[in-house]
Amino acid sequence: MLSRVADSMFWMNRYIERAEGLLRVLLTNYVLSLDKGPYGVHSWKPVLELFGNLSAEEINQIEYSSTDTLKYLVINRNNHNSLRSLINKARENARGMQDHITKEVWEEVNQLYHTVNHPGLEKKLSGADALPTIGNLLKQCLTYVGVTDTTMPRGMGWDFMNIGRYIERGVLTSDITFKQFQQINFDLDDEKDILFWRNLLLSLSGYELHMKYYSSNATNSNVLHQAVFNQYFPRSVVYSLERMEKYLMNVLDENDPPQKQMMLREFGRIHSRVKYADETSIKQVTLQYFLQESKQDMLKFSHVLGQQFFSYA
Amino acid sequence: MDSEFLIQNYQTGTALFDEMQFDRQIRLPYQKLVETIRNHSIDDLQLKHKLAGELFMNQGITFTVYSDDAGIERIFPFDILPRIITAAEWAHIEKGIQQRLKALNLFLKDIYHEQQILKDKIIPAELIASCPHYLREIAGINVPHDIYVHISGIDLIRGEDGTFYILEDNLRTPSGVSYMLENREVTKRLFPDLLSQANVRMVHNYPLLLHNNLRALSPRPVSNPTVVLLTPGVYNSAYYEHTFLARQMGIELVEGRDLLIDNHKVYMKTTAGLQQVDVIYRRIDDEFMDPLLFRPDSILGIPGIIGAYRKGTVALANAVGNGVADDKAVYAYVPAMIKYYLNEEPILPNVPTYQMSNEDERKYVFENMHKMVVKRTNQSGGYGMLMGNTASDEEISKFKHAIEKTPREFIAQPIIKLSTVPCFIDDQLKPRHVDLRPYALCGPDGVQIVPGGLTRVALKEGSLVVNSSQGGGSKDTWVID
Repeated sequence: MLSRVADSMFWMNRYIERAEGLLRVLLTNYVLSLDKGPYGVHSWKPVLELFGNLSAEEINQIEYSSTDTLKYLVINRNNHNSLRSLINKARENARGMQDHITKEVWEEVNQLYHTVNHPGLEKKLSGADALPTIGNLLKQCLTYVGVTDTTMPRGMGWDFMNIGRYIERGVLTSDITFKQFQQINFDLDDEKDILFWRNLLLSLSGYELHMKYYSSNATNSNVLHQAVFNQYFPRSVVYSLERMEKYLMNVLDENDPPQKQMMLREFGRIHSRVKYADETSIKQVTLQYFLQESKQDMLKFSHVLGQQFFSYA
Repeated sequence: MDSEFLIQNYQTGTALFDEMQFDRQIRLPYQKLVETIRNHSIDDLQLKHKLAGELFMNQGITFTVYSDDAGIERIFPFDILPRIITAAEWAHIEKGIQQRLKALNLFLKDIYHEQQILKDKIIPAELIASCPHYLREIAGINVPHDIYVHISGIDLIRGEDGTFYILEDNLRTPSGVSYMLENREVTKRLFPDLLSQANVRMVHNYPLLLHNNLRALSPRPVSNPTVVLLTPGVYNSAYYEHTFLARQMGIELVEGRDLLIDNHKVYMKTTAGLQQVDVIYRRIDDEFMDPLLFRPDSILGIPGIIGAYRKGTVALANAVGNGVADDKAVYAYVPAMIKYYLNEEPILPNVPTYQMSNEDERKYVFENMHKMVVKRTNQSGGYGMLMGNTASDEEISKFKHAIEKTPREFIAQPIIKLSTVPCFIDDQLKPRHVDLRPYALCGPDGVQIVPGGLTRVALKEGSLVVNSSQGGGSKDTWVID
């Protein structure tokens, strides 16, 4: 497979995975912003910090305005992580390798592109339209996932697509988890009730699983377990790493590069650092450090992967 | 209003050749089509027209017009009624194009090697020397099977008396073949019954023929050579066609940055390392191919590829330097080439062409500007041209001025009223001018032409310019037995 095509496969999926993550965070926060919860008036600050590049001052100006925040995070062209930027980049990648994706996948990406670039979208981001609009965009992203799954042929392209998806997912989950724990200074012993964690759990679409799976009162620890270590939770860091491992093995077997052993060692190190961690060992290095390191590890690995397989320019 | 009314109301120009109607009678090959039109209501035809548009749009058969960073996607207008060519007409066209390509291939070999045709003064040497598309850099390079023009799209027109003329030879990177194929697929959905009854020859084997020819060019004697299609990238207006052909042939679609040269061999960069490339069907213009030899600012090309081409480790289709043979000023000498190389009379005539660098011819053209079309020798796509019959005096004097400055860059031809065919426009049948571009493939076994081609239509009333950039559309083209 051409390196450029593999690169595009990887990034098309990464961008759409990020778009999906962004949309779920927006949906959750939008709904929560309508209630006055026990933890004060809802602020968009953590979300703006995660998906934007505004200065602290600029964030202060819009953190309590859902409409301004949505506009910035959905359609602003200067924000590289706005939904529009992400989808445009995904489509750019898809366009350059149209002969390697199925017609159905191309049409789905195309449709998303036309939706986020529709001139009428801005108006629909405020008032009664906002919620259904975000919901509909999220649904389109999910349809993309389904269409790729049912139509794309298995093989190297599929493997690279999935590595992209799961790297992005692992990074996103650590990012969102980091933001939530930051608000309580990464203190695992400071007991917060489930209402505090609702934002995080709904943003990861793991609220229901949490209610079913965890029965103890140590909610902080439970939430951390779910976000990072729960193997049944498809957005946990460890689940993402496990999927990555599967597709990485395929790619290494199919291409058999000279650096295969090095890459296996590197990935094994990253994977086991998360897989075999527990609360005690995390407390030793602090939760803040642990989450940051896990994320950095995955990003670094993405870089190594790029050097090995995608260096064509 | 029923569709009989459409047919009765079809008004053709008096002095024009209409392909369907002659002296208020329907010509024989069109009778089945007319029968079908009669059997459909105008609403049916409207629906078919709409369906065709949707089919093109949904399949993404569009070209993109860029403004700011928002791309607007448009379809290439399609008329639902096919243009019909009889088997006898086709046999004549086929022979004529085969003959012409044979001569053009011999000319290209000669001009980049011995230049016998110049020494024998059949073509003036200064004409070639002044041609920007003659590339000294590739003189002396031998190409596989001595084939230069692997893929061509020679444009034909039909004059007032029904004679077919060659309008221009496109021997570099002719496009539009995907429309020929897609138009047929769309017609299959619009008029399935008619198509099966009418004995229409098939066109869909074009990609297979092309693929076989490309494989035969491989310099390495391997059973499965690596053939790739080189595209300038997603911003090229013909990008859809590039992906279409790559898909149909099952070959890799590459960009310049996917390739590199090592030790005079071409490789593509894959996830499993470098893989040698044997044959490149390139859709990049000569001047962008190799920044070491041609335009140094080209980022579309591959530095050193002409070196590999010279060594013979890679085959390029079409050959580099073909532009010298489809230059509009050299065009006038193609009949002479046919006589010189083949000792035959041209089967398909040229349109009379006046060289602006010739003083007498220039004088004659200047006196008859209103009957002339003036073209720049190095431009295509309907750009840089002046239709004397519709141009203002100001435009004419501007062109005269430009011609006097650089006469070599212009030619003039008498305006030929192209033949007309019926089009379904605004719920009526209206005559519109058309040309015909059959796609010919040259391989080691000779010249093959899929029966049909792209019929381009000037959709504006009275317009004689069929190029898509100038408001042209297309039609499915049937060769019937």
